[in-house]
Amino acid sequence: MDGTLTSFIAALRNAEVRVSTAETLDALSAVELVGYDDRELLKNTLSLMLPKTVDEKETFADTFDRFFAFEDVDGALDAGDAGGDGQGNGDAGTGAGGGEGAPGAGAGNRKSKNAFLAAATKGEGEEELGHGEMASPRSSLGQLLMLDSRVELTVRMVEAAKAVNLEQIQVFTQKGLYTRRIMDEMGLPGLQREINELRMRGGLPERRLSQELSKRRERLREQVRDYVERQFLLHADATGRRLREELLRKVKLSNVEHRNFRLIQEIVFKMAKKLVALYSRRKKVFRRGHLDLPRTLRGNMGYDGNIFDLKWKSVKVDRPKVFAICDVSGSVANYARFMLMFLYSLEEVMPRVRSFAFSSDLAEVTELFERNGIEDAIAKTLRDYGGGSTDYGQAFEDFRHKCLDDVDNRTTIIILGDARNNYGDPRTEILKEMHDRAKRVLWLNPEPRATWNAGDAEMRRYIAYVHQAEECNSLLHLERIVGNLLRTVQ
Amino acid sequence: MVSGTRLPIVLLKPGASVNLASFPATQGHRVAESAVNIERVTESVEALKAEFDAHRYICSDQIATAVYLAYHLRKPVLIEGPPGVGKTELGKTAATIFGLSLIRLQCYEGLDEAKAIYEWKYGKQLLYTQVLKETLEEVLQGARGFAESVSRLHEFGDIFFSEAFLEPRPLLKALREEEGCVLLIDEVDKSDHEFESLLLELLSDFQVSIPEIGTVKARREPPMVFLTSNNTREISDALKRRCIHLYIPFPDTDLEQRIIHARVPEIPPRLRRQLVTFIQELRDLDLKKVPAISETIDWARTLLLLHTENLDPQLVRDTLNVILKFQEDIDNVDVEVPVLTNKAVKS
Repeated sequence: MDGTLTSFIAALRNAEVRVSTAETLDALSAVELVGYDDRELLKNTLSLMLPKTVDEKETFADTFDRFFAFEDVDGALDAGDAGGDGQGNGDAGTGAGGGEGAPGAGAGNRKSKNAFLAAATKGEGEEELGHGEMASPRSSLGQLLMLDSRVELTVRMVEAAKAVNLEQIQVFTQKGLYTRRIMDEMGLPGLQREINELRMRGGLPERRLSQELSKRRERLREQVRDYVERQFLLHADATGRRLREELLRKVKLSNVEHRNFRLIQEIVFKMAKKLVALYSRRKKVFRRGHLDLPRTLRGNMGYDGNIFDLKWKSVKVDRPKVFAICDVSGSVANYARFMLMFLYSLEEVMPRVRSFAFSSDLAEVTELFERNGIEDAIAKTLRDYGGGSTDYGQAFEDFRHKCLDDVDNRTTIIILGDARNNYGDPRTEILKEMHDRAKRVLWLNPEPRATWNAGDAEMRRYIAYVHQAEECNSLLHLERIVGNLLRTVQ
Repeated sequence: MVSGTRLPIVLLKPGASVNLASFPATQGHRVAESAVNIERVTESVEALKAEFDAHRYICSDQIATAVYLAYHLRKPVLIEGPPGVGKTELGKTAATIFGLSLIRLQCYEGLDEAKAIYEWKYGKQLLYTQVLKETLEEVLQGARGFAESVSRLHEFGDIFFSEAFLEPRPLLKALREEEGCVLLIDEVDKSDHEFESLLLELLSDFQVSIPEIGTVKARREPPMVFLTSNNTREISDALKRRCIHLYIPFPDTDLEQRIIHARVPEIPPRLRRQLVTFIQELRDLDLKKVPAISETIDWARTLLLLHTENLDPQLVRDTLNVILKFQEDIDNVDVEVPVLTNKAVKS
């Protein structure tokens, strides 16, 4: 029973519902209390114990239905569910062959199954052998098939699936492979041989059996395929997506194909959201002059209760400032979009970010970002400031003119660009000034380190005046840098 | 509807001080009487649901299951959902059903341990130090040297930080209730992050630590804790992990009709159906604040007062301010009123 619950929780985790070990234990004791008898109650109970947001609850409902849909026919559950099983089966029989679907557990099960098979037999138009004596099968799978016990068949199937590690299925192309493997594990080769042999021997009872067995084999194959499909959805659907995301993270941003833009955007947002959740702690500022009586009295106990050392209710407000300067010129056109996306997310993550964009002249885009959605903001920035030829000297000059006075020792300055200055004056003295005033200056360069000084790149000169220079051309880089950044500014 | 086992509900604003000890001793007797009843009620989810129904709180299976689990597992319940779906009411009704007193802590920005857990009676402490100054001399009489004086004083040491000078606030009070109680921590999302962390110890171990005295554990029965949140901000994972998480959405037409029936039984069925349908339609519109159940109830009462038998557009327009709380919304809906009313009447 506990195994069922833990594998259900594994499936939940796969569907991106976060379940901790403590919650697993809680869920176990809750299930102990309510039992497995009442499906609806079980669902309600687990949905109270495991998912902890509205989104997660929706995911939970889907996963529960999918997971326990199979467990129903599995027969691994107790009598209550077996009843449901028989009923579902009966319905299928009614649809196919007109047999009566009795709702009782065992009887209904068998009867409807026979009806179903009879219908399937007629449909295929093989040689008519009539009803009559039938030989008994010898291979183990054959015996199992002729046994007409759905439960046992299913149990065998699940065992086989476990043996071939079905839960490790990752991409949908593997479905056929796993179906085959499970069939083999269940003893398909032996069955195959038996069918052939029976056909060769030619006696009527043997041929009847051979025909019956191959029909049942096909049905089994279908059943296994269904099972693999469901397990794939349960275990691999999200894994596949995660795989793709993983890949995208490592890929160079300039090489990302256009169709993946949306996914990238989602990843950046997810990243930003994760960071927001981690770092956005509300800091409460009490009005100055609010006397903290308890602390005052406690603090003055030592002075015979005479109050002369006043304590104030004040919370130190830590306000890191970030100035982000983004190069959007022609040479980094491929990256600019992502850099801006990053900048935009940064504004959401950090309490006080001011963003600037430049090709040659520098302009502040903070407000533009605040007022527009991400798509519009990026498009507008690129339209208004992008595409020109780069002039870092001019941009630094503008920065000094516009807001160097606002830079203080709690400020972090982030520069995003390739430092390709078209052989113009690099104006390193301004960068030095920025370096001296700010807490940190960070340079994120989209080019690989090896080419930082090739051609018209001035990285060599600039690097002397920054605290840290990093290569940044994939989401993985970005994530790492942002994480570090937040750790230092907070 | 009032059963014999009903106990007084104590509503405490933080800061208000009610001496719980002053409640009559009959309480114990009553509790004993109701113990059988409680056993019957908590036997199954259905029984609990029926009991809630009897107390005019119509709830879904999910809600009843949550209370059932909370009772048996002694875990706090975190209730989330849009405003006005009966989150606070659930806590109150549960208190009534279990025959426990209700201690309520309303959260707000800036709430700290001094207002939520305990506070020293500083005035009393100061006063006593002044009064006892003379006594001090007596105590110290004959003491030779500084060291001996100090050691004599130590014997009296912690008097000023003892129970006598302790002012319990709701959380501490809840722990000290002999018979257990229902602790309702309302709108926990309004409080600060620090306060949330403060709650963790209470929620997982039913104890709080007071530096000067030590750890106070729950008496015989730990309290049943309900926390409500309006989702104005995300509650931390640590807190969520310790709770049963219940999300109460707006009810569907059927459930809402039953709620109205329970709350405003005088209203004729036809009108009830009409007004619930209307509200349900309204919730699909893009509004600044969608009407909640409490608004539906208010509206039902209003219509009853006006002796309405059928909804008609003019009447709806006139009473729209009962269900919509923003002029902007009222203006927007005004145009749609005839269509919506028509739909509701035909339902």
